Amino acid sequence: MDVQTITITIDGKAVTVAPGTTVLEAARSVGIHIPTLCHHDDLCSEALYSQTSESDRSAHEENGMLSTPSSCRLCLVEVEGLAKLHASCALPIHNAMTIHTSSTAIRHARRDILELMMSEHYGDCFACARNGTCELQKLCADYGVTSERFGRPRAPLFPMAAPGNIIVRDMNKCILCRRCVRMCALYQGVYALTTEGRGDHSRISAFMGREMKDAICINCGQCINRCPTGALTERDDTEAVWHAIEDPDKIVVIQTAPAPRAAIGEAFGCAPGTALTQQLNTALKRAGFDRVFDTTFSADLTIMEEGAELLSRLYKGLVLKDNGARLPQFTSCSPGWIKFIEHFHPDFLPNLSSAKSPQQMMGAVIKTYFAEKNGWDPSKIVSVSLMPCTAKKFEAARPEMDSSGFRDVDFALTTRELARMLKQAGIELPKLEETPFDDPFGVSSGSGVIFGATGGVMEAALRTVLELVTGDKVECLFDKADIKPVRGFDGVRMAEVTVDKVGPVPALIAHLVPDFEWLKGVTLRVGLAHGTINAIRVLKDIQEGGPLSTCHFIEFMACPGGCLGGGGQPIPTDRDIRSARAKALYSEDAHDVVRKSHENEDVLRIYRDFFTEGPLSRKSHELLHTHYKERV
Amino acid sequence: MSHIVYGVWNGAVHDYRDPSKPTPENPVALHGLDVFNEGNPIRAFVGDRGFFVFDKGVSLIDTFWRYMDKAAEQSCGKCTPCRMGTVLVRDALADMRQGNSSALTLDDIVALARQMTDTSLCGLGMTCGKALLEALENFRGEFEAEIKEGKQPEQEGMVYVTAPCIEACPSKINVPQYIDYIRDGKPSHSLGVILQKYPMAATCGRVCVRFCEMACRRNLVDEAVGIKTLKRYVADYQTTTGALTFSKAMIAQSLPPSMRVAVVGAGPAGVSCAYHLLLHGYHVDILEAMDQGGGMASIGIPSYRLPKDVLLSEMDIITQLGGRFLFNQKLGRDYSVDDLFARGYRAVFLGLGCQEGTKMGVMNEDTSLTGYDSGIGFLLKVHDHVAGVKPIKLEGDVVVVGGGNVAMDCVRSAIRMGARTVHLIYRRTRDDMPADKEEITAAEAEGIVMHFLTNPTEILSADGKVTGVKLVHMRQTEKDTRGRRNVEPIPGSERVLNCSLVIAAIGQQIQSGALTEKDGVSLNKWKCVDVNKTSLATSREGVFAGGDCETGPATLIHAMAAGLKAARAIDDWVRRGYVRFFPRSRMRQILRDNNVLASDVAEIPVKSEYRVHHPELDPNIRKQMFEEVERPISREEAYHEAKRCMRCYRVYSVVTAEPVPESHN
Repeated sequence: MDVQTITITIDGKAVTVAPGTTVLEAARSVGIHIPTLCHHDDLCSEALYSQTSESDRSAHEENGMLSTPSSCRLCLVEVEGLAKLHASCALPIHNAMTIHTSSTAIRHARRDILELMMSEHYGDCFACARNGTCELQKLCADYGVTSERFGRPRAPLFPMAAPGNIIVRDMNKCILCRRCVRMCALYQGVYALTTEGRGDHSRISAFMGREMKDAICINCGQCINRCPTGALTERDDTEAVWHAIEDPDKIVVIQTAPAPRAAIGEAFGCAPGTALTQQLNTALKRAGFDRVFDTTFSADLTIMEEGAELLSRLYKGLVLKDNGARLPQFTSCSPGWIKFIEHFHPDFLPNLSSAKSPQQMMGAVIKTYFAEKNGWDPSKIVSVSLMPCTAKKFEAARPEMDSSGFRDVDFALTTRELARMLKQAGIELPKLEETPFDDPFGVSSGSGVIFGATGGVMEAALRTVLELVTGDKVECLFDKADIKPVRGFDGVRMAEVTVDKVGPVPALIAHLVPDFEWLKGVTLRVGLAHGTINAIRVLKDIQEGGPLSTCHFIEFMACPGGCLGGGGQPIPTDRDIRSARAKALYSEDAHDVVRKSHENEDVLRIYRDFFTEGPLSRKSHELLHTHYKERV
Repeated sequence: MSHIVYGVWNGAVHDYRDPSKPTPENPVALHGLDVFNEGNPIRAFVGDRGFFVFDKGVSLIDTFWRYMDKAAEQSCGKCTPCRMGTVLVRDALADMRQGNSSALTLDDIVALARQMTDTSLCGLGMTCGKALLEALENFRGEFEAEIKEGKQPEQEGMVYVTAPCIEACPSKINVPQYIDYIRDGKPSHSLGVILQKYPMAATCGRVCVRFCEMACRRNLVDEAVGIKTLKRYVADYQTTTGALTFSKAMIAQSLPPSMRVAVVGAGPAGVSCAYHLLLHGYHVDILEAMDQGGGMASIGIPSYRLPKDVLLSEMDIITQLGGRFLFNQKLGRDYSVDDLFARGYRAVFLGLGCQEGTKMGVMNEDTSLTGYDSGIGFLLKVHDHVAGVKPIKLEGDVVVVGGGNVAMDCVRSAIRMGARTVHLIYRRTRDDMPADKEEITAAEAEGIVMHFLTNPTEILSADGKVTGVKLVHMRQTEKDTRGRRNVEPIPGSERVLNCSLVIAAIGQQIQSGALTEKDGVSLNKWKCVDVNKTSLATSREGVFAGGDCETGPATLIHAMAAGLKAARAIDDWVRRGYVRFFPRSRMRQILRDNNVLASDVAEIPVKSEYRVHHPELDPNIRKQMFEEVERPISREEAYHEAKRCMRCYRVYSVVTAEPVPESHN
């Protein structure tokens, strides 16, 4: 069938588009930038439609918030033949029209709107975490908003958020664009935020006007990433970390997760997808951290524990018919996802792997294994993590995360916070030389690196589990050990692989299963979901006995794109940026010498020296595993 | 007729301030704008397309401050220009009227008013700055003089916010607001908006004739918003978890046990009246001749359009609020109006309905013939059939005479009850039929044979049984002086249509014997209860009437609106001894008389998106059963439909010489 097209004229340029395309999209496609503060590329219908499958779409539609609210009114354009200005984000093209996107009337209207926004905007730019990345600030500069024509509030119009919130809202800076509300609903399905009140009493509010810490919020921080202003930020832990660094009695160690390395350059003007792993090590040393460890080490450790748990669960479930061994097993490394399931689907808690996340595993071994090895007093160690994630702050503070007798992780910093610290320290990250990670957690496998992308945990787990089971190289099944079927950005994905032959049980896990004969001919099915809205779909499908209920293992990531799209990553974000970050991670994996978790020498050493009884043993249970609880 | 001093309307400037110039012939005809209530002259009027000043002494600054204050209060807060524009203009005018210096100049106000008009998201923001803009552009001198004067005198008056759909609705439901709540994903809030006016949301969402949709400005773009469909969507939400439960706890202040009111008739008018009285704290008994509630909504509307359980669950609301139904109590047979007062009721509401079929006036129209029925009589039998009380099976052919919704209900019911062929006889053309077009189309789909421009002249019978009807073809006459075409029989075109059942569905009236002379309630020449149209009070003190028995056969929504109006009047009468002036009604009258909300141009280059339609059961299946034909719409369909609403809110204001009584209402 011929796809019907319409040609319209924008600023004298002919643009041919499919009917229904908005004027805003058409203009951007030919390089005409129309400003807007409520439209976001991730939240325009096209992105929602393309990032998701057919069924995702209906999920979004059910949530009833597909279209841009067209509330900021900055994207006004002139349509020839019509007297008024029209919002281009809500102007679908259905017939030939002639559009002007720039004229004195438009310029003045946009400037007036910005001035109106400033008339209810309290707060100084210099004292704002978004100074320099604020979209409102940029447009005010672009449109020459220099006067305070309609006045400015001289005192806060809204009270400041109470201490203790991880997601910090400052309604004095909010322009009511509703991106956060839509993000929370459309991609996360959490509905933590809503609009309240009418007229100039309108505000964005958590349920019943609660503080974010008391609302049902998973701390994923996706709202922060979309906020055009500084109305949404994360709790700032940088001062506390500086304080620890400057304390001569403390040994401050930092672990860096894979996703921030591929993104932190953006805060220093690098193109998205610029990996600065080794430069970052140098920077952190310069900033005063005593040791820099690689979270991918503990990602590999996670694979060993979680993979062993999967094999043990499969054995119990498929062979011993033990109903206590719930399948499919769910991954547990995304703290947003953990809080999500604790709130919304406690019935599925038994499916969660008991393995701690890599951040917490690293924290636990630093204050035990590493401290012992070096003869350091664990109470003097301050364990910091660099994470792409705001929910990691919550995870680090979970009361149960102290099985060694010390907090596993003392401070979880986001990529944005650390970038700010480096800037404060005058460290020009992109110009630095390379430094390797410190022992004994310095060797990483490519499997650990790709934890940062959706599908990465699953790929890493499959590489290890398949080799442990078959005794063959996984390259026999998947070229270059790239398990392509689990990669990609579709909201929900499924893949399967049939175990054709089995080998002897490796010694490391011999205490868990007697043999692998029962796996011969079994088709292992795995599922993946990112963005908790997709997690809802997966859980629903399992409940209804759909295809996903036949899976053995499912990876869940709270954030769209996985950790690389985490709520603590540099702003802005969109699909292209996330793809570039993913590319950087997969390329690092491809170039790694060690690409499989069970081949990581540091990991094998820790099982030889410390967790001598192997994965899922008493000691590993104590330090590397955790439990979950229902939350209301 | 008020004399305009100056003003702007629809872009035309009127200026008669200079006394030396002879007052020109008043070019705008305004009706009823001299006084607002008795002895209270209107000094100025402000609307969406301009303003008029009738009294030179009016302060424009104060007038527009009042207007903008309301607009700011009503702004939804979504778009920047309206949210902040209304507030900034209001505050600037507030400073000026106090004689203080304002942060904004008149130029700034012009810029803001223009910004709101040109760039706001919805009808409220687009229109609320217009009159002010016109005033500042054409009569800036007045503003400057007032600023120089300093503090402005306090003015009186009222401000009223409405929309074309609200004004068109007899019950004045805030349609854009309930649609807004659907868009916001809060169907229970949406239902709350409807419940402010009447309890029968699910019923209305199925059978309303939709005056709102006729007035919907979306018609100017593509097709009216599916307001009724959306109402049913939110009402059906009541069947889900999280449904609203009615209880006595909803009654703000319960009145002493002596405050009792009797409602005669459990139809839409009576139930609506009882509902509002209960919420006011009264103790209400509903006396009903039948053995269940619903009135015409129950017997007059077949269950394939309105399932009985839906209706009955809405009747339960009355019981949940503490009201009592007294069934099998027929006025004129079991009790009289005197009896009600003797039983201690402080007031009586008559919602009897029109239960008696009107005869066709043709030869041999003997109502005792087997096979002759009135529309309403037949629907009563259908009701019993569906209820399983008295199943009947029709055989042979059926002829229904009439072109209204009752006739449609009769034909569509007859086909479901086994009739071989069902004929509809209507004396005018299809386009002239007063029935809903959807109903006609549905009937045609179900195989009803329509005979237009045809009229019965005689009923044929044998042995006391109907055997057929004699019909004559009609033709349209030339247009008369009022441009209407009438019809006349074509001589010699008579023919006979054999049938075993003929149903006369051409109209209804109050049942004879229900009201007697002794009741002291007088009827008018159409045999309907005569009332004062503003208070619905009858000729007897303490007796009020509304619904079909007052208007003649009309619509569900009219009856429910009358119930609300009567409840308000009864409350006033019982507690104060008189019925208060209701300024909102007066405002509506002004808007209606001057056709202020008449359709204008909608400059919204939105995509033509046609309304959602209920999925329907297949005609071949549905014509065999009384299952509800229209299926519910999904959540996303409701959202998309709600998005089509253009929120055509308008603000209207009058400045008066004296305070407007009860203007807080």
